[in-house]
Amino acid sequence: MRYWSILFALAAVFSIGAFVYAPFSPDWWLPNSANEPYHAVSKFGREIDSLFLIILWITGIVFIGTQIALVWVSWKYIDKPGSVATYFHGSQRLEVIWTIIPAAILVFIALYQMGTWAEIKFRSSAPKVLPLAEVTARQFQWVIRYAGPDGKLHTTDDLHLVNDLHFVKSAEKLEKPALIWLQSGDVLHSFFLPQLRIKQDAVPGLKIPVWFDCDRAGQYELLCAELCGWGHYKMRSKVTVHENQADFDEWMQRKLSEQNQSQIAAVAQGGK
Amino acid sequence: MISRFRWALIAGTVSLAGCGEMFDPGPLEYVDSPSLQTELKDKPTMQAAVRKALGNLFGPEPREIHVPVGSGLPMGGARLASHRHFDDGAKPQAFHVAVGSSTSTPGTIPIRGGFALYREHCLHCHGVSGAGDGPTAPFLYPRPRDYRKGIFKFTSTNTGQKPTRSDLEKTIRYGLHGTSMPAFDAMLTEREFQQVIDYVIFLSLRGETELALIGEAGIADEKDPNALSDEVSGEILRAVANKWKSADSQVMNPPIPKPESTPESIQRGKELFLGLNKTGNKVDCTSCHGPQALGNGPSFISQDVFNYVVFGGDPSTRGERLDAEAERIARKRFEMANHGSAHEPTADELKPLLAQIKKQWEDSLDDWKEPLRPANLNRGVYKGGRRPIDIYWRVAKGINGAKMPAHVPTLEPEKVWDVVNFVLALPYEPKLLEGATLPAAPPTSAPKVAQPKYDLSNTTLLADSPPPADPKAGNTK
Ligand SMILES: [Cu+2]
Repeated sequence: MRYWSILFALAAVFSIGAFVYAPFSPDWWLPNSANEPYHAVSKFGREIDSLFLIILWITGIVFIGTQIALVWVSWKYIDKPGSVATYFHGSQRLEVIWTIIPAAILVFIALYQMGTWAEIKFRSSAPKVLPLAEVTARQFQWVIRYAGPDGKLHTTDDLHLVNDLHFVKSAEKLEKPALIWLQSGDVLHSFFLPQLRIKQDAVPGLKIPVWFDCDRAGQYELLCAELCGWGHYKMRSKVTVHENQADFDEWMQRKLSEQNQSQIAAVAQGGK
Repeated sequence: MISRFRWALIAGTVSLAGCGEMFDPGPLEYVDSPSLQTELKDKPTMQAAVRKALGNLFGPEPREIHVPVGSGLPMGGARLASHRHFDDGAKPQAFHVAVGSSTSTPGTIPIRGGFALYREHCLHCHGVSGAGDGPTAPFLYPRPRDYRKGIFKFTSTNTGQKPTRSDLEKTIRYGLHGTSMPAFDAMLTEREFQQVIDYVIFLSLRGETELALIGEAGIADEKDPNALSDEVSGEILRAVANKWKSADSQVMNPPIPKPESTPESIQRGKELFLGLNKTGNKVDCTSCHGPQALGNGPSFISQDVFNYVVFGGDPSTRGERLDAEAERIARKRFEMANHGSAHEPTADELKPLLAQIKKQWEDSLDDWKEPLRPANLNRGVYKGGRRPIDIYWRVAKGINGAKMPAHVPTLEPEKVWDVVNFVLALPYEPKLLEGATLPAAPPTSAPKVAQPKYDLSNTTLLADSPPPADPKAGNTK
């Protein structure tokens, strides 16, 4: 049955088709903001996307090549009545070639991505800025403690919020990323900013610095990317990137005065 | 719709069976209040009458919601569910909000409705009936709220009053820090919050009406067919609903704003907290919160006994752990009292000691019979909110259903503010209570429970000490 090979070919064509289609559909493509589906809003995001594309091209080309070879072989060397199989020990040269080429590709990818990894993850590359906030992941919310106007954590002017992350876009901060300290109050969670391509596990007992930038003011999302229990889906937070520092300060002042509220402005107005 | 649901259920069952573990969320039906059995033990007719009256008022099962007239729910309860149909005059006092079926509805309104939202987000903790008995509830401390008593802890209204809608909204939106109640601020829309609040109030109305009906049936004659007539049950419902309606007029507004948090104000607050104030009324904070405000005052069962009983194993075997622990402590106390006399205590000798320990445990339970802990005020975690007004409310009018009493009018508003300033300063000034002791003669304090040898202090959710300061940051300001 030589026609099986056509079925295999179709499966391969379908897979390749999906990948060819993906970039043309914002829903299928990388998580970017709806009005700019092809613009990653952060510097790290663009680096990670370019790594992603390089790997996608490499694996895509290899996939197409191997699929063509497989379909061709299964078409050409189909079992025929009366044909006799030949046995041979193998080809050392061929084996060396198909070991060395993938190994070389892997080494290339490993070396090529190192700079980006170091820039995003190594503690030594953490930006020398005052921390924006301390973020505590717990079942099932993000408890965010902002450093407040004095820029220091654990002082009386700290702002305490839940599921509401705010920072200023990077152009306004001399291209410096925002820095948070991530910790967990209970189990493993993962701090995931899909649009900014940042993902970091929150590990009980560790305080982990995480930094991220964004060059477009707007609304984004913070999610938990580590299944942490029945309420995992509830760990969803708003992320607001402010146009400039003044905006951010104005927001923080407003939130601080809410936090310092000591009387009801108008009792009479009551409920809704 | 139903058949699709059924298919999903079958598929889910099959796939879960493959894992060798089946999660059973339980049937979608209201549970009876436990007092239906206890209060109406020998009155089967009255039990049936209560069920019937309750079914008429609120619907026989969660998927058929009746909104009784006079419920006070906004828009006549229209936000409770997505499919509505009105009674065609046969029962003019109520209209039905039918859910779960799209048949016989004159028109659907494009909302999910409180019931659907509640089922998705709240039910697994708070349970079908709002009894705080959802499938995940036994794993949580503190336990999820049972709405059926109509008691809510964190309110802006006077002691014992119902919360306002904005109080409930605040709880749902921002969660209760230090408990398992998460924040839904980023999950629901403005409209959805109102729908969920409606449904929570609906469940609370239903539960409190059930209790009142049981009370009424308890004094009624078992043979009286009109004991719980439509008029009587409607009257009972309206009495409950009126308490909700009056909540907005019960909001307590501090008459003066919070004064500046000066060292003098903090000091005055500290003296009030420790009962050392020279003038004015004295209040007793340390007997519960402890002299270092660690939440370990002598009126409550000691922290390690509490940890052992509450967190030391399966929640359903709490009683056994309490018995074992009480026995052990009683023997130790007996030994201490008798200076190592060689003889084993007899059952009669242990009895008063055991009773004392059990009494202390009973005294450490809230209105839902769940074990309570006084707040550790050094952590800077405030369940009811950290705004000064929140803490003012907690001090001034206490916490409904819990042991925190009201302190107004015992304390004048300016003194309450001193206490608030002190409480808010404490996490940042750990030395504030250094060396403080209980007042010399603690009023009617029970003898301190002997400390067991094992240490279970790390079983609490978060450490009991304030979070480690960022090395770069100064600790005080
Ligand atoms: Cu999580």
